[in-house]
Amino acid sequence: MEFDEVYKSYWQKIFRLCMGYVNDFELAQDIAQETFIIIWQQLPKFRNESNIGTWIFRIASNNCLRQIEKEKRIIKTDLPINLREEQQESIEPKIQLLYKFISELPEIDRLIISLELEDIKQVEIANIIGVSEVNVRVKIHRIKEKLTQRFKENG
Amino acid sequence: MDNSNIDFTAIWQQQKVVELNIDELQDKLNRFKKNNLKKLIFSNILLITTIVFVIFIWYKYQPQYLTTKIGIVLVILAMAIFLLVYNKQFSSFNKIDDTQTISNYLKSLTELKTKQKYIQTTMLNMYFIMLSLGIGLYMYEYTLMMTIFWAFFAYGITLTWIGFNWFYIRPKTIKRQQAKLDELISKFEAVNNQLNRE
Repeated sequence: MEFDEVYKSYWQKIFRLCMGYVNDFELAQDIAQETFIIIWQQLPKFRNESNIGTWIFRIASNNCLRQIEKEKRIIKTDLPINLREEQQESIEPKIQLLYKFISELPEIDRLIISLELEDIKQVEIANIIGVSEVNVRVKIHRIKEKLTQRFKENG
Repeated sequence: MDNSNIDFTAIWQQQKVVELNIDELQDKLNRFKKNNLKKLIFSNILLITTIVFVIFIWYKYQPQYLTTKIGIVLVILAMAIFLLVYNKQFSSFNKIDDTQTISNYLKSLTELKTKQKYIQTTMLNMYFIMLSLGIGLYMYEYTLMMTIFWAFFAYGITLTWIGFNWFYIRPKTIKRQQAKLDELISKFEAVNNQLNRE
């Protein structure tokens, strides 16, 4: 697979994954770009042994975790001020809330739920993370419960 | 609890996404390569110049004593080893497989940091010992040509400087490096524990 092709088909997904991880537009862009630099470096070594999606999401997730190593960056979890006054009919506040809540989860949970919401099969998520499928299913269920709870608390 | 009333996937996928921009990425890629190269070149030039300078002294002043020659070799060796380790940090040494599972990646990260801790401390100690010993031996021949007073003075100054480095700078550097790595290790372990938690 050509790099350009990979870039085009995965940019949005990877960006959202990073966005779920940090909930900061600029930082997410940086991390997503870094991810593609790694993909670019590694792509010649990719053998078709595994699914390219699994392979790419592993790189992206690992790169998100690698951020721990970087200087502590301030992670924005607050909502923009004007948002609170906006009418709840629009979908926009819901998107922001969802990403905010996800970015507040423990690191691994952030990655798992992001992958789930990208419609990746649970067996593949298990393959990306390196745990059993059952474990993934249980975790996803709990995370969704937690998110629903948070949404309810926020009316 | 019922999750079905909120369609998270639908909300998730409506997040605004930064436009993809292959030129910007290409720019970033080039800058990334250039920066790594710059760091590498700078440290190499610095150390190679020092080594060349020491070799030049050897030829120019033709030392007679074996101690002087051993001194020079030790100093060069100390720098060469430093250079080697420094360069390696940019290549294979720091590399871990980005394409492994998250679980294995976290283990590799922890291992890497533990290894770095050991190497940093050992290297720093070795570097200081070899450099100090080398300088001490190297000076011997030349201090013999001085009066007793100046010989003591020269060694006194050098030993004070070495002592300051060994007893103050070195432990401080090691402590700083270790604290940073320890913090990372415990953070990686904490994340890894999230995997095992049911």
